[in-house]
Amino acid sequence: MKIRTSYAVAGLLACVVGASGWLVGRLPAFALAAEPAGRPVTFQPPPDSAIPQGKFGDMVRLGERIFREPATYAPQFVGNQLRCSNCHLQAGRQAGAAPMWAAYTAYPAYRSKNGHVNSFEERLQGCFRYSMNGKPPPLGDTVLVALETYSYFLAKGLPTGEDAPGRSFPTLPKPQLPADYARGAQVYVQSCASCHGPQGQGQSSGGKVVFPPLWGPQSFNWGAGMTSIKSAAEFIRANMPLGLGGTLSVQQAWDVATYMDSQVRPQDPRFTGDVEQTRKKFHNTPFSMYGQTVNGAVLGDPTATPPDGTVPVAATAAPVQQAD
Amino acid sequence: MKPTRRWAALAVAGLVAALGSPAVGSLTLARADDATVRTGEAIVAHGVSPERPGCAACHMQDGAGQPEVGIPRLAGLTGPYIAAQLEAFATGARRNAAMSPYAAMLTPAQRQAVTDYIARLPVPPQADPLPVPARQRNHGRTLFLDGDYRTGLLACAQCHGQTGLGVGAFSPRLAGQSAAYVAEQLRAWHANRPRDAQDAFMRSVAGRLTPSDIEDVAAFVASLGEKESGTP
Repeated sequence: MKIRTSYAVAGLLACVVGASGWLVGRLPAFALAAEPAGRPVTFQPPPDSAIPQGKFGDMVRLGERIFREPATYAPQFVGNQLRCSNCHLQAGRQAGAAPMWAAYTAYPAYRSKNGHVNSFEERLQGCFRYSMNGKPPPLGDTVLVALETYSYFLAKGLPTGEDAPGRSFPTLPKPQLPADYARGAQVYVQSCASCHGPQGQGQSSGGKVVFPPLWGPQSFNWGAGMTSIKSAAEFIRANMPLGLGGTLSVQQAWDVATYMDSQVRPQDPRFTGDVEQTRKKFHNTPFSMYGQTVNGAVLGDPTATPPDGTVPVAATAAPVQQAD
Repeated sequence: MKPTRRWAALAVAGLVAALGSPAVGSLTLARADDATVRTGEAIVAHGVSPERPGCAACHMQDGAGQPEVGIPRLAGLTGPYIAAQLEAFATGARRNAAMSPYAAMLTPAQRQAVTDYIARLPVPPQADPLPVPARQRNHGRTLFLDGDYRTGLLACAQCHGQTGLGVGAFSPRLAGQSAAYVAEQLRAWHANRPRDAQDAFMRSVAGRLTPSDIEDVAAFVASLGEKESGTP
């Protein structure tokens, strides 16, 4: 349980927007996404208009800017083209999309991922190291202070010491059939590729990434929570295609998550030098494809795996693909 | 020029985007297939049948459209988007009384020629946009950039980009588009009227807009200028 939660929350950045043509009618997408069964979300984070004037408010605003555009406001720590807000939807406010208000009141917490009690700042460091494929800002760095301040602002009135409804992603039932890469590929083409691109490379507009890369060198690395098929399936089912969350079936969500998490992406920063050993140590779960053979290649094989922590190279790299 | 008015009115009645705009020999982009582009230019100017005028009759020579009456601007749209819409009009996948007969008259090769021509048109300067009250523009900007998490409204920028330039075949450029056109499309989606194969997205979004939200966001995107948006 603890593992699941920590991985799910760790499933920051990078996500799955998608297009699907055949959906009918107006769908209560957000209602579905925001209300995991049995635990109605009642908490409402404050709007931007409630940010106060003064030094505190300035830090909240800086935090929100970093959250929306990390490559612009924290380029020295960002190694890919993702934004925090790609997965933490509505700039960290959306219930069921790992909202920052619920994460804020969940720390300090023990995490099995690193075997000790983590402060909120240390938790944020993990986002940069894994999901952003970057470098963790030092504790006390303005970037972390700003993000913490923004999260604190969003959590106004929320009790500590309780798991807030809406935290992380809604739990997903197991699929009827074992999750399948080939079926997932079909779901991807049908419902995801028109935004995220046929190769998962994302798409840009006016030089800025609009639809995030889901795999490849500009996406999250093998240490990120989103590489857990379970977390990805939960996120996808609740939130994707963007604006139409809840429209893919449970089976489709598991299948397409399997497809996405069976692709090449940057190396796990904890790589020991040996793929099998790294899998045993950090990916010893059926939900991780790290170290598994897909299409004849071993995922994580250093000869075919982009490097981790690519700052500042990626900070100055050109966007993956122009609009036209 | 006179027939222009008549056809313009007809297009307004039905609404919805399309192709169009001739421009005389001003093509400086030598890349791609010049012959195809010239074919497209001729179709846009004169059409393919004596019974019906070319696209330019409504969408104008430079692809500027007629923003005040809701005929959309085509210049600035991407090739993949134009091609997809023309095909959708031709097959009936996108429903529009004004556009469908035009698109259906074109062969696939002619549609491609028109697409190639329009996709190369420079974005025309904005024709003195109507002044928008600051409050309306600011509210429109907030909806465009941030959406509203309380209603689950996505930001327009999530799919159309922060500068409203659009993405490939998926989401069209909004920056500088006719406010009347944008508002009409949003109202139709708000009313849950089916438009095309991909409109589940826009119906879901527009259903969360109030009538005044629609006016505000339409006014904002129309006022999004080149300085803010850069070039495609």
